[in-house]
Amino acid sequence: MDVTMNYYTQDIWTWWFAIYLYFGGLGAATVTVAFLTDMYMKQHKELVLWGAISGIIMLSVGSGLLFWHLLDHFAVIHVLNPLVWILKPDAWIAWGTQFILWMMIWGVLYALPYMVESRFLTGIPLLKTVLGWPIVHKLAALCQRFHKLLGWLSTVNGIGTAVYTGLVIQSFPAVALWHNPGVPLLFTVSAFSTALAFLLLVLTLVIKREEDHHIRVFYERTDLMLIATELVILFSFFQYMRAGSESAFHSAQLLWNDWGWMIGFIGFGLIVPFMLELKGVLKGWSSHVPIVTASVLVLVGGYLLRHYFMYTGVYAQPW
Amino acid sequence: MTHYAMVIDLNTCVGCNACMAACAMENQTPVWSNRWRTYVHDKEIGTGDSVHRRFFPRLCNHCDNPPCMSVCPTGATYKLDNGIVLVDDERCMGCQACAMACPYAARYPITYSDIDAGEEFYGSDAQRHHPTVDKCSFCAHRVVQGLEPACVETCVGNSRMFGDLDDPEDPVAKLVASGVARPLLPHIGTGPNVFYINDLERRG
Repeated sequence: MDVTMNYYTQDIWTWWFAIYLYFGGLGAATVTVAFLTDMYMKQHKELVLWGAISGIIMLSVGSGLLFWHLLDHFAVIHVLNPLVWILKPDAWIAWGTQFILWMMIWGVLYALPYMVESRFLTGIPLLKTVLGWPIVHKLAALCQRFHKLLGWLSTVNGIGTAVYTGLVIQSFPAVALWHNPGVPLLFTVSAFSTALAFLLLVLTLVIKREEDHHIRVFYERTDLMLIATELVILFSFFQYMRAGSESAFHSAQLLWNDWGWMIGFIGFGLIVPFMLELKGVLKGWSSHVPIVTASVLVLVGGYLLRHYFMYTGVYAQPW
Repeated sequence: MTHYAMVIDLNTCVGCNACMAACAMENQTPVWSNRWRTYVHDKEIGTGDSVHRRFFPRLCNHCDNPPCMSVCPTGATYKLDNGIVLVDDERCMGCQACAMACPYAARYPITYSDIDAGEEFYGSDAQRHHPTVDKCSFCAHRVVQGLEPACVETCVGNSRMFGDLDDPEDPVAKLVASGVARPLLPHIGTGPNVFYINDLERRG
C-alpha cells in the first residue's frame, strides 16, 4: 500500500531507563569480575566487599528507577515470583528481574564470610548487631564451605544480567537500532569494560595495595581489549545503519551527526581511554592519574552509550 | 476456527472521528488525557494543486505474532483463540514494554489519575479500577454477543469492516485474499490483522 512515512523517537523509556541499563550492566559485571578475581586470581576480601556492596547498590538504584516508573507497583509481584521463568520465558524483563534478584542474593551470600570479618562493616551500628548474630555466623560458615558454588551462581546471574540489558531492547522489532544481534553483544562488552574501569578506580584510589599491581595490570589489559572490541562493534553498527532499513538510517542520522555521541562517547568515552590504557600497557605511566582519568572516561562513556541508544531508536510509522 | 480481522477502506473514511467517539464511550478511554484506542490521523499528501487529504484510522492490529505479548513480563497481554489480543489490567504492572514493542503505537498508559478522572466522569458506571497499558480489544465483549466493534458499527462511510479471515465467504476474508486490502509494516513479521484499502491509486 502507498504510505507516507513518519519518523518518531519514543518518549516512554528515557534517561531513567538508560540509568537502569547502565547500573544493571555495571553492577552485575562489577560483582562478577570481583568474584572471579577472588576465586581464580587472588583471594581478595576488600575487592569482594567493594564489588558486592557497590554492585548491589547500583542494581538497587537501577531497579528502583524502573519500579518507580511502573504504573501499578503492586502488580510487580508477578515478576518477582521465581516461577515467572516458566510462566513467561519469552519476556526478557522477567528473566532480567530474576537474574538481578538472584545475583544479589548469591552475591550477599558469597560476600558474607568476608562481611563478618570486616572491621569497617562490623563498626556500623545496625549492621554490627546483625553481623554479630550467631545464626549469621553459622550461615557465613556454611557459605564459606560452598564458596565457589556461590561465586559461580552469582557469576552466571551476573553475566545473565549484563546480557539481558541488551536483550531487553533487542526485543522491540520496530526499531532497527535495537532489534539486531549486535545490541546484546555491545551492551555486554560495555558492561564488563565499565566494571573493570570501576574496579581499577577502587584498587587504585581506595584499596591502594602494591601487591595488587598484577590485578591492576590484568584489568587494564582486559579493558583495553574490551574497548577495542566495542569500537569494532560500533563500526559494524555504523555500516549496518547506513542503508537497508529506514528506521536504522534515521537513527544513523541522529547518532552520527551528534557531537555528544561522536566527541563525547566515541571520542572521550572510548578512543581517549583506549590511548591512555594502551600507553599504560605498552610503556607504563609514572603516575596513576592517566589510568584514573581513563577509568572515569570509560564510566561516563558507558552511560552515554545507553543514553543515546534510548533517545535515537526511530520508529518508522506508515501514517 | 474463527480468525477476526478488520479492513479499513481509506477511500471512504471521511474523517468524522465518530469511531473515536464511539470507542471512547464504549471502552471508557481517557480522552481527557488525549489517549485513544483508535485514532484518525489527518494528513495532507502532495504539493501544489495535487494535494490529497487522507484520513488514516489506526488501532491495535491484533497481530498473529504480537511483540507486545512476548515482551510482557507478567503475562498481562494474552491472545484468544479467535485472534483477539487482550490485556488483563489486574495483572499489568505498567512497565510499558508493550508500548515500546508495538510497531503500530497502539498501546497507551492509563494512570491512577486517569482512573480518578474516569470515576468522576462515569460515576458508578466507571469500569476501570487498575492502572494498565491499554489497547483496542476489537470490542471483544460485544463480539462475543454477536455484535460488531463499536467503531465499525458507528462508521458513517462504512470504511471499517469486521469479519472472519477463516470464513472464505466473509467479505473481509475476500478483500484480504484478493490483495486489495493490505497490512501495515508486514516486513516486521508481526502478522497484523488490520488491513487497509489504498486511496491514492484511485485518486491518481
